[in-house]
Amino acid sequence: MNTEDLELPRQTHEIFNILARGQFISSNGTKDGMSRLYDVLNDPQNFEKLQSYFSVLRYKIERGNNYFYFSKVNEPPSITEKKLETFEKYIDIIDLFASLDNKITIGARVRPSEIAEECNANVRLKQKLAKIPLYRSENFLNKIREICQMLDRDSFFELEDEASETYKVLDAYGYLLEVINAITIFGQPPSPEHTITNPPDIDIDINPN
Amino acid sequence: MNNGYRILNRIVEINIANVKYADIELNGNTCFVGANNYGKTSLQRAILFFYSANSRALGISSSQKPFEEHYFRYDNSYIIYEVATETTPFFVMVYRHNKLVFRFVDSEYRPEFFFNENNEALKFREVLVNLDKQGIFYSNQIDTFERYRNILYGTETDPKLNKFFLLRGNEKYQNIPKSITNVFLSSKNSIDSRFIKDFIASAISNESDVIVLENIERQLRQFSEKYQDIETFLKKETQQLIELAEQKYDQVQLLRTAQLENAEKLGSTLRYADTQHKILFTAIQEKDQKIQQLKDEFEALKYSLEEKQKDLREQIGYYDGMLRTAQRKLDLYKEKNIDEILEKYQEKQQLESRLQVLQKEYDTLTADVQNIEVQYQSLLNNIRNEIQAVTNKINAEITEIVNHYNELILLQKEEQSKRESELKQQLQSAIASIDNDINEKQIELGQLKSEEKIASSIQPYDKEIKQLELEITELKTKIYTGKSEMAIQQSKVEALQKEWQNIEKQLQQKFEHLTQTIQQQIEQLKKEINQIDEKLNIQENAFYGFLEKNIPNWHLSFGKILNEDILFKNDLNPQLINPNDNTIFGVQIDLDKLQIVSKSIEQYQTEKIEKLNKIKELENLFLQEQQNIQNEKLLNADKYGKQIAEIKEDIKVTQYAIELAEKKERKLLIELEEWKTKAAKETDASLQSIREKIAMIEEELSILRKRKKITETEFETQIQNAIARAQQQIQHLKQQQQKEIEQLEVQRKNTIKELKEKEESLIAEKQNIFQNKGVDNKRIQEIQKQISQLQEQLNELQQYQSLISDYLKDKRDLFDNIPIYKQKKEELVTENKNIIQELEEENKKYNLQRLEISKQKKELEDALYQFNQGILFFENNFKETPVYKHYSSIIENAEPKPSNYNITDLCTQLLKNESYFNEEYTHFQRYINEFAGKFRIDNHFGFVINHNASFQEYEKFAQNLRNFINENRIDVSITETTALATMIIDSIAIKVKELSGQKEKIYHIVELLAADFKKAEFEESKLIEYIKIRLEESDNKIYKLLKKIQEFRDEHGIVFNEGLFNTNSATPKKSISLQIIRLLDQLRSAIKEQEQQEIRLQDLFELKFNIKEGLNETGWTHRIDSIGSTGTDILVKAIIYITLLNVFIKESSVKTNKKFKVHCIIDEVGQISAHYLKELLRFAKSRDIVMINGLPNKSGLESHYKYTYQFKKEDDGTVRIFPSIVTEVEV
Repeated sequence: MNTEDLELPRQTHEIFNILARGQFISSNGTKDGMSRLYDVLNDPQNFEKLQSYFSVLRYKIERGNNYFYFSKVNEPPSITEKKLETFEKYIDIIDLFASLDNKITIGARVRPSEIAEECNANVRLKQKLAKIPLYRSENFLNKIREICQMLDRDSFFELEDEASETYKVLDAYGYLLEVINAITIFGQPPSPEHTITNPPDIDIDINPN
Repeated sequence: MNNGYRILNRIVEINIANVKYADIELNGNTCFVGANNYGKTSLQRAILFFYSANSRALGISSSQKPFEEHYFRYDNSYIIYEVATETTPFFVMVYRHNKLVFRFVDSEYRPEFFFNENNEALKFREVLVNLDKQGIFYSNQIDTFERYRNILYGTETDPKLNKFFLLRGNEKYQNIPKSITNVFLSSKNSIDSRFIKDFIASAISNESDVIVLENIERQLRQFSEKYQDIETFLKKETQQLIELAEQKYDQVQLLRTAQLENAEKLGSTLRYADTQHKILFTAIQEKDQKIQQLKDEFEALKYSLEEKQKDLREQIGYYDGMLRTAQRKLDLYKEKNIDEILEKYQEKQQLESRLQVLQKEYDTLTADVQNIEVQYQSLLNNIRNEIQAVTNKINAEITEIVNHYNELILLQKEEQSKRESELKQQLQSAIASIDNDINEKQIELGQLKSEEKIASSIQPYDKEIKQLELEITELKTKIYTGKSEMAIQQSKVEALQKEWQNIEKQLQQKFEHLTQTIQQQIEQLKKEINQIDEKLNIQENAFYGFLEKNIPNWHLSFGKILNEDILFKNDLNPQLINPNDNTIFGVQIDLDKLQIVSKSIEQYQTEKIEKLNKIKELENLFLQEQQNIQNEKLLNADKYGKQIAEIKEDIKVTQYAIELAEKKERKLLIELEEWKTKAAKETDASLQSIREKIAMIEEELSILRKRKKITETEFETQIQNAIARAQQQIQHLKQQQQKEIEQLEVQRKNTIKELKEKEESLIAEKQNIFQNKGVDNKRIQEIQKQISQLQEQLNELQQYQSLISDYLKDKRDLFDNIPIYKQKKEELVTENKNIIQELEEENKKYNLQRLEISKQKKELEDALYQFNQGILFFENNFKETPVYKHYSSIIENAEPKPSNYNITDLCTQLLKNESYFNEEYTHFQRYINEFAGKFRIDNHFGFVINHNASFQEYEKFAQNLRNFINENRIDVSITETTALATMIIDSIAIKVKELSGQKEKIYHIVELLAADFKKAEFEESKLIEYIKIRLEESDNKIYKLLKKIQEFRDEHGIVFNEGLFNTNSATPKKSISLQIIRLLDQLRSAIKEQEQQEIRLQDLFELKFNIKEGLNETGWTHRIDSIGSTGTDILVKAIIYITLLNVFIKESSVKTNKKFKVHCIIDEVGQISAHYLKELLRFAKSRDIVMINGLPNKSGLESHYKYTYQFKKEDDGTVRIFPSIVTEVEV
């Protein structure tokens, strides 16, 4: 299929580069014209064109609440399993963030120092933070920094101001919450407040791409 | 001196830098020979200053001392430039008087002007004195470089000064000094088309002819950021978030206010409860005492009344008994026909009198036969006595029987009466008992009914209901007032919007009209300029040019009768036959009488400059007006927007107040309904029990009445039966009595009949005797008969004697008192009734009072209970919660106030609300974060919220957002951003146009350069075969974009007013707006990428060279690194410079009959060969250009120059410049 035939938007390449890396395009992202890319994708005509264009590459654009990501069609279970393992680390992080007094919500601007300060003052949070594996730093602030950097790398956060080390919580953060809320622990009935109307299909969409 | 041309003839330096005195002739190619740092370049700069008069464009680096300070160190430092003219030379003296100043002196340079006898340089005032002494004209001090240049380049309008010119420049004369400067400054650079471009550009443009990209980039960044902010704001999702956040804000506010109110209420109620506890307890006790007191009083009153009632009843019973006895007796007497008896008894006396009369008569009649009479009378008396006796006896017996039976009957009757009385008594007692019960029940019923009446008349929660109704009425009034206010405000908004639109429309129309007018004027002026240009272009070959060249001052003579059409005709083939002929075709006229109609070239130039200035003024006016209108629009937006926003805010506030009022009304209506239901329920409950009691008592009453009736019936039956039985017995007795009496009557009749027969026989015997004796027997018999009848009657009356006496006694004692008894009884009954009524009333009153006090007591008890319960609940279930901690200051500091609120309810409500509030606040926070997160951190709306922000901060954010929306600040922002975009685009368009306007000049210059190169006679030396030059389109990305924007602006005009943020992509202007926004975006990216500071004229085109030197051809290229040897390079470079200079001089000067020469200052030409130098000097000479070059040392090259000066440093550090003795070989 010729791209010209489809009259694809000129940002197609840019969109593909982001999504194919397993990242999200959020409406409230500002870096690299992300919000513009979101607008392009959000245009129904563009969306259809891009969907059919990317389907050739066996990619499917998934639409979340104010964000987009790629999922792969007919992904082998081994890869899904691997993704699940990758996702596991987010559970503790989201748990920690959800336990903060000032809960981290979409659009919020957070600073690792503030979160670390709160963790430092709260034993429960300290324990939760200590429980989070994978981080080399033992210092609370550094741990939180690493978490923020990881979330930034995975396009859930965006480093908005380097000087003040301010991160913005992007719309894609909602994806993490949705997935976590959709998890059902065996032997326990799903909590009604955590039941979403259309939970992402964990088998396929546990992580973009 | 008359050269036939004008030239800078000489430069004299007096105390300049480290030169004490130097007099250097420049009227020919000049060469300065000296080692480095000997002052060659300084001298060349001083020469350059003559042309440029710009101390900052002399190539002095910023680390060096400025020109003024380095050159003019003393009060008597001068540079003197002597200019040779067609006639006598003049000179310009430059000295420092605070700043550099110039004076034109109408004389050749003479040292005595500046030195005294001791060869000491004079101060400028002394110089002027010297000049004055010699009557030499000198100009006033020229303070500005600009004025100096104007004079030097012949554009000065002052007639006193307009002779001090080097050449007649046109409006572009600035290019000449610039070109000379550029040649001097860039002579060390390699040959690069960019340099040539720079040279051309800088020669024909000035410092302001640049587009500073930094400014544009800043403006674009501002615009882009603002655009992005506005776009983000206008997005559907953002608007939805605003709506959600607003809703939640209202909820949160409402809840917060409710919580604060509740906390305040709770605090007040708690404080009040504390103060009221004792008071309530005492009040309850008081109420108890009052009830007891009331009861005691009532009981006492009741007792006294009942006692009274008892007396009355007894009395009534007495009178009742008397009346009944009297009635009974009356009935008895009636039975005995007492009336008839009494009537008869009244005749008794009359009968006794008649009897006495008859007795006397009888005695008289029987007086003669008295013996016989006595005898017979005694016999008769005996018989009669016997009869009497029998009669008496039987009567007695009858009487006895009658008495006996009467007695029996009486007994019977008494018994019956007794029985009846007993029964009646029983009945009475039973009835009394029942009546008593009934009375009691009736009293009770009365009480209950009055209770019912009270209960139904007392509406529970009346105060609350009335309060609520009052509040609802107030709210309704408020809603109504609010709605009408809102309607008024709405109409105000509409009126303001209309007014605003009208003003905008007017402004737009005004602007369009102005644009049109200005455009027309500009068009007109351009047309006129074109006409002037056309004239100037063709003048050389036209009749005008011929006159200029051949007839001096033709304007004053021949020109007066020629019109412009003739002057600028180029096909007239004029020929100068007799220049001294002052006639016109042989005709001579006095031309002094005619006005000068023709214009000089200078006048045309001036006119053109004026028109260009006028265009500039008009453009400035247009920009100014545009800015003014924009400002006015902004002011209007500010004014109306603010007003509308304020009113809208008011509307919103009113609407909110109405909503709140409606909400409150609904709530109050529900509350009212609840209170009413509660009241109705309570009334029903209290009435129900009363009614139940009433029904029960009524039933009991009915039973009692029934029982009474039954009892009465039963007793009546018994009485009737008793009476019947008694009557039967009496009848029986009476029958027996009758029978016995009849038997006795028969006996008496028979006895009396026998006795009567005896008597009659005696009477007959006697009568016979009397008859015999002559006595009137008949009469005697008659009297006797009458006596007998009378006696019978009297006897009969005698038997009623006791009955009558009894009757009379009874009458006297009883019957006559019946009315009194009745009256007394009635009085007593009335009195009794009154007492009953009084009792009832007292009872009612007592009950009412008791009920009222009980109710008050109950209320107090309830309140106390509620307070206690509330305090308990507060202590146990509320005080430890975070909600209490949250509102503790309000609760603890509240003023005690009486209220109807229940502490438990308030605590529960606070707890419930707090959890609801937290839920809502979380949502509110989330929406605000999400909303703020949509914007850049430094967005121009200031929509930023800290993650750790407090409630107040979130509240402030929401309030600001609300104000933002209410005041419609987005419109203001859109207007500003649109204005910014318009301004950027306009500014780009104007700047690009201005710059592009110069492009034609470049084309023209390049064409001239190309032509000049072509004309160059390289054939002779064969060194350079040709130098070709051509222009190509600029490949500067930024310029291309700028150009596109300018073209876009020209094509579409200002397109944003309606379309920039129009969300409807179908709007035609939207797509145009999107195009321009994309262009602006691309421009911004390009500026960022290219890191270019400014766009200059040279960025508008590409210049390429093709040079062939010998066998070497460079091809079309930007840069020629090396054409051949260094000497060749210098030559080519110098040739190009000279060509450039020549072209610029030609272009920037007016062609007149006055010739002139200028200098081309190229410092280092040391490596050029003599052959090349010769070639170069020749090349320059053919273009009226005199070369000034620097050589490091003497090498023979100097021999090719007319003047050669050597530089020598003296021991004292001063430099001496002296002419070298060489001969100009050949030029």
